[in-house]
Amino acid sequence: MPFGNEQSERMKKFKNKGKDATTLRRQRMEVSIELRKAKKDEQILKRRSIVFSFVHASVSPAEDKNEMSQLSLEDIVEAVNGSNTELQLQATQATRRMLSRQKDPPINQIIDLGIIPRLVEFLTHADNAPLQFEAAWALTNIASGTSDHTKAVVDAGAIPAFISLLSSPHMHISEQSVWALGNIAGDSALYRDALINCNVIPPLLALVSPETPVEFLRNITWTLSNLCRNKNPYPPLDAMKKVLPVLICLMKHEDKDIISDSCWAVSYLTDGSNDRIQIVVDTGILPRLVELMGRPELIIMTPALRAIGNVVTGTDEQTQAAIDAGVLAVLPRLLRHAKPSIQKEAAWTLSNIAAGPSRQIQQLITCGLLPPLVELLDKGDLKAQKEAVWAVANFTTGGTVEQVVELVQSGVLKPLLNLLLAKDSKTILVILDTISNLFRAAERLGETGRLSMLVEELDGLEKIEALQTHDNSMVYRAALNIIEKYFSGEENLDLQPGTSQDGLYDFSVEKQDFNF
Amino acid sequence: MELSDANLQTLTEYLKKTLDPDPAIRRPAEKFLESVEGSQNYPLLLLTLLEKSQESVIKVCASVTFKNYIKRNWRIVGILVEDEPNKICESDRIAIKANIVPLMLSSPEQIQKQLSDAISIIGREDFPQKWPDLLTEMVNRFQSGDFHVINGVLRTAHSLFKRYRHEFKSNELWTEIKLVLDAFALPLTNLFKATIELCSTHANDASALKVLFSSLILIAKLFYSLNFQDLPEFFEDNMETWMTNFHSLLTLDNKLLQTDDEEEAGLLELLKSQICDNAALYAQKYDEEFQPYLPRFVTAIWNLLVTTGQEVKYDLLVSNAIQFLASVCERQHYKHLFEDQNTLTSICEKVIVPNMEFRAADEVAFEDNSEEYIRRDLEGSDIDTRRRAACDLVRGLCKFFEGPVTGIFSGYVNSMLQEYAKNPSVNWKHKDAAIYLVTSLASKAQTQKHGITQANELVNLTEFFVNHIQPDLKSASVNEFPVLKADGIKYIMIFRNQVPKEQLLVSIPLLINHLQAESIVVHTYAAHALERLFTMRGTNNTTLITAAEMAPFVEVLLTNLFKALTLPGSSENEYIMKAIMRSFSLLQESIIPYIPSVITQLTQKLLAVSKNPSKPHFNHYMFESICLSIRITCKANPDAVGSFEEALFMVFTEILQNDVQEFIPYVFQVMSLLLEMHKNEIPSSYMALFPHLLQPVLWERTGNIPPLVRLLQAYLERGANTIASAAADKIPGLLGVFQKLIASKANDHQGFYLLNSIIEHMPPESVDQYRKQIFILLFQRLQNSKTTKFIKSFLVFINLYCIKYGALALQEIFDSIQPKMFGMVLEKIIIPEIQKVSGQVEKKICAVGITKILTECPPMMDTEYTKLWTPLLQALIGLFELPEDNTIPDEEHFIDIEDTPGYQTAFSQLAFAGKKEHDPVGQMVNNPRIHLAQSLHKLSTACPGRVPSMLSTSLNAEALQYLQGYLQAASVTLL
Repeated sequence: MPFGNEQSERMKKFKNKGKDATTLRRQRMEVSIELRKAKKDEQILKRRSIVFSFVHASVSPAEDKNEMSQLSLEDIVEAVNGSNTELQLQATQATRRMLSRQKDPPINQIIDLGIIPRLVEFLTHADNAPLQFEAAWALTNIASGTSDHTKAVVDAGAIPAFISLLSSPHMHISEQSVWALGNIAGDSALYRDALINCNVIPPLLALVSPETPVEFLRNITWTLSNLCRNKNPYPPLDAMKKVLPVLICLMKHEDKDIISDSCWAVSYLTDGSNDRIQIVVDTGILPRLVELMGRPELIIMTPALRAIGNVVTGTDEQTQAAIDAGVLAVLPRLLRHAKPSIQKEAAWTLSNIAAGPSRQIQQLITCGLLPPLVELLDKGDLKAQKEAVWAVANFTTGGTVEQVVELVQSGVLKPLLNLLLAKDSKTILVILDTISNLFRAAERLGETGRLSMLVEELDGLEKIEALQTHDNSMVYRAALNIIEKYFSGEENLDLQPGTSQDGLYDFSVEKQDFNF
Repeated sequence: MELSDANLQTLTEYLKKTLDPDPAIRRPAEKFLESVEGSQNYPLLLLTLLEKSQESVIKVCASVTFKNYIKRNWRIVGILVEDEPNKICESDRIAIKANIVPLMLSSPEQIQKQLSDAISIIGREDFPQKWPDLLTEMVNRFQSGDFHVINGVLRTAHSLFKRYRHEFKSNELWTEIKLVLDAFALPLTNLFKATIELCSTHANDASALKVLFSSLILIAKLFYSLNFQDLPEFFEDNMETWMTNFHSLLTLDNKLLQTDDEEEAGLLELLKSQICDNAALYAQKYDEEFQPYLPRFVTAIWNLLVTTGQEVKYDLLVSNAIQFLASVCERQHYKHLFEDQNTLTSICEKVIVPNMEFRAADEVAFEDNSEEYIRRDLEGSDIDTRRRAACDLVRGLCKFFEGPVTGIFSGYVNSMLQEYAKNPSVNWKHKDAAIYLVTSLASKAQTQKHGITQANELVNLTEFFVNHIQPDLKSASVNEFPVLKADGIKYIMIFRNQVPKEQLLVSIPLLINHLQAESIVVHTYAAHALERLFTMRGTNNTTLITAAEMAPFVEVLLTNLFKALTLPGSSENEYIMKAIMRSFSLLQESIIPYIPSVITQLTQKLLAVSKNPSKPHFNHYMFESICLSIRITCKANPDAVGSFEEALFMVFTEILQNDVQEFIPYVFQVMSLLLEMHKNEIPSSYMALFPHLLQPVLWERTGNIPPLVRLLQAYLERGANTIASAAADKIPGLLGVFQKLIASKANDHQGFYLLNSIIEHMPPESVDQYRKQIFILLFQRLQNSKTTKFIKSFLVFINLYCIKYGALALQEIFDSIQPKMFGMVLEKIIIPEIQKVSGQVEKKICAVGITKILTECPPMMDTEYTKLWTPLLQALIGLFELPEDNTIPDEEHFIDIEDTPGYQTAFSQLAFAGKKEHDPVGQMVNNPRIHLAQSLHKLSTACPGRVPSMLSTSLNAEALQYLQGYLQAASVTLL
């Protein structure tokens, strides 16, 4: 079968109306394979140091560009492997400069020279701070490349060397090490855990103090966030518990980059099982996250929204914590945000809140989420519309009849039915299921006739009819089902009233039951 | 089987025989081939033959046989089961996969298609894991430069990848797509560019161009499949290449590629049509990334529309292209592309108006294929037609530009009407287009049942109706300009809710007149329009058009309707029959004078169609009409029932004897209706049929069950005494039917209907000996497989029994089956479940029954059952006061589906054969609450002090308050 178990499992729950709302919540990991370009609004995994910052320039020895550029690769190999410390420094610096070039840094060539073990060794030369610094910088930039590049650095034993440099008396060296470690941590779960096992966390956290310069603090925050990042496996929980209090402090900083990266870190922490979400909820940081979610800066809003979005994938209580922190007051604005990815994320968040018990659905209504939801469904970007469809689906699954009536009255039907033209089988199926849910609610109110008329007026009927020839068998069966159940009885509906003066049509009780 | 020449020879012989027209030769050969299917090397022998055989007919035959063999056997379903063993051994599988691609590519086209199909079947199972080199093998052929080979590859790739268009996103699927993209996207892009270059170098070589364009079509299709699930990184990076080329292909024309065929789309049309689909895909799904290209596509597609002709072969292209514009123009951020008055005018003039014109092909359909025409035009199965696409574009544009668009079109409508006026017989198509334009402009929401429900306020529909529609319908000849007549009638039909009633009344005689038109479309539309007008609602839930208003037209209406059924092509016209039914229902007693003639015509029709029932709707309305004739006539004159029986029974007998399955459920319903009309004892003609109705074979058909139960109920109501005296030996058979029904979760409620009628009407002594068995049967069902539906019916039944036989009798029969049974049923079933009972009458029966148990059953007062007295009273008050409990246990959710494997839609309920709701308690108890109060009062006078003390000890406060209300209303007190 083309669809996984997760899928059919979900559909089952869907029909068993409101049975187990938590299974309606959709984690972020629907599929782990991506066809698209990496998202532009993701946090940067690895960074290369390109421009000379003020700090770097001041501590490097005088740099004579002519002299440097004359060094050939062979010269570099020779000098690095030689014992002349002056030449070592010059060659390392030349290497670092090549690697800092804006376009096409020759990382592969440098690796092929076989000098990486030597550069790692230079990290331990505590007596030669400039050499340590240049080597650290060069290695940072190598580690910023592909996984193979990072691997070359790690295989040369750089992890323990960099960790001990965290405690270097020279701030610029310890800062460069933080950066290098960030690149290594960002590569994979494997290296991240290797770092954690080498006890990177205590010295790293020790660098955070009220006196730490902002620039440095940014690096630390970014590296911390990479230590929280990646799944399969998740980072060890006890390590995360150590990092978390510091992250919470950093999140209260006023620097935008620091806030952004600490939010990213929390978003990674919450992107997992409910016990991980719980440690974040327990810190009481949700109100701050919600506040940040409402900030105009994209770099802050994006990760904060993600973190909150993850929290509401959790239990009803965790979701309630997010609601209590005020998430519902901020979401309308985000649902109307100009940027499609924000719309989408906000709608996803909403869909998971709508998967909750009816009292949470009620809060969603009370806080005025229906109008922006309907708007989004009507005019949003397709990716956001798909999430909005899920929100409506969950709403109709767990909501009470009265709540579903309110949803229909807010005008959800027209845009929902229009989306039956979406070129995405899954979305179509979810809409068809939603329509069935609506009819089920209408049945309880004895209003199926009105609903089917409404669906037809909004051109929904012909769209559902057209889906009876859809190539996806689940889609066509769902469409067929709705037609048979609610639209094929046209004649009987038709015949009911009109001449009912003499009670000729009064046959309603038995008629229901004839539907085997 | 070895790969030997001898075996090849044998196989050739057998294959040849499978082509023999003589089944005596063909069948054994087919059987033989089937018997050797499981042998090793069999598929390889086939492949050898299709490659090397000397006879081309054997090659083709071998390729088809091979494809079918793969289709049947390649897939291994889960764990192998005995009757489905894996017929293809592993080594054969490997050999097939190793050879099939080159073989396919080197084969002539006929065989290539078969092998390509086989590859995609294999690929569906084995690709990518078990066939890792398939892609590289295919991609390598792109370099061959041989477009016969390349098209083979592309076709195969298309059949492998097209499932990406409809399958759900999953890890497995996306992993596969990623793999395909990595291997295929770049070579495909290069091939695309190279092919386009070759097109310009071979611009003067027709045969080369054909091959190249076939490739481009396949490439464009592959693009659609590969981009469907999400926008792949590769295609995002290469959007410029693809979109620039797609764009220029849209604008490309080459005389060499134009075809003379008017019907069949040529390569150029197919390619452009696919490109429109690709652009629409990007516009819908990847709007953000596609935005820079979109305006160019809008312009290109619209130019394409302006320059494309009216021939049928362009239909798909044109409707795809218009749909693209329609989907774009209603989006806020593309509004500006259409905003300019000149643009709007040009779209209206050059895109919309030309595509609304009535074409030669429509004219042919109107005359020669009316049924299809009606279905398309009336029932909206016109998706993908030009008119429909143009109509959608109008509606799309109206979202932002209703005023300007209406203004532009008003001008057009006027000029087209003027053209028509100059010379109607030549220019009638202009008027048709004008009407269509007004219709599509005015209608904003529409349903079959109500016509247009929301209209454009800028269009004056009534004025247009009076000035341009009515004159056509008033013209002396009903057969002149049939298309315009049909347009006019349709206009009345769909705008019936917008046009004032007085105009509708003016139209009615015109419509009746057009029932005589020769054109099938025209008289069908006239019948349909009348039928729709007759169903319109007026105030107070009455019909908008009253019988009194119709009085002057009754005769002509009925005459013309029945005459229309004799017009060529309309002998089983469902619209006319439906109009007949609706007219009867509206006109009521004013049809009585015409009934003798009507019933004769209907009976003849029935006799004729029962030879070969083919139009289910027609038949249904015919039976409805028969029912109406009976009801209306017998209401005024009950004795007339005999004359109906006389007219109908002969045909009915024939239907029953010939076992015309489609009609039998109808016959039972009409018979029920007739039988119920009798006021006295059941006529003997019915009694003679009684034993036959109990025949098991009738009950095996699901569709027969509801009408047969209904008929038996009528027998019991009218003839219980006769059955008891003259057919007592049939009572077990009758109960057997009950037992059969009660055994089924789907039909048990029907069983209860029957049982309730038996208990209510049969003389007690006639069923005495069966009573215990009946309860045992019910208890068994209750024990083994109870459902909510069963419990509801069961509760109603035992309370009905209690009312009929008394509470004490109920208690005694329960306890005689098993000691303390009565208490158990009270405690486990009645008290907890009574809340689930639904329906006025059902609730009343239960209330009266329970009241009897509470007040007329001594063991409730002085045995261990006493402890259940207050809970039972509380449950009864709950039944009165609490909302119905409609929760259904989880495990029952799917019962309908699981337990009715033989689902049949054979039963079509006739609304006009409808049974009046029957209330067995009837006048005996008017208000069950007061009845309870009075009964309690009576009980309390018999044993003073007991009742108040039971109430005060355990009835909850709220219930007590309600109870006091009842006592007050009944003005009684408890002693």
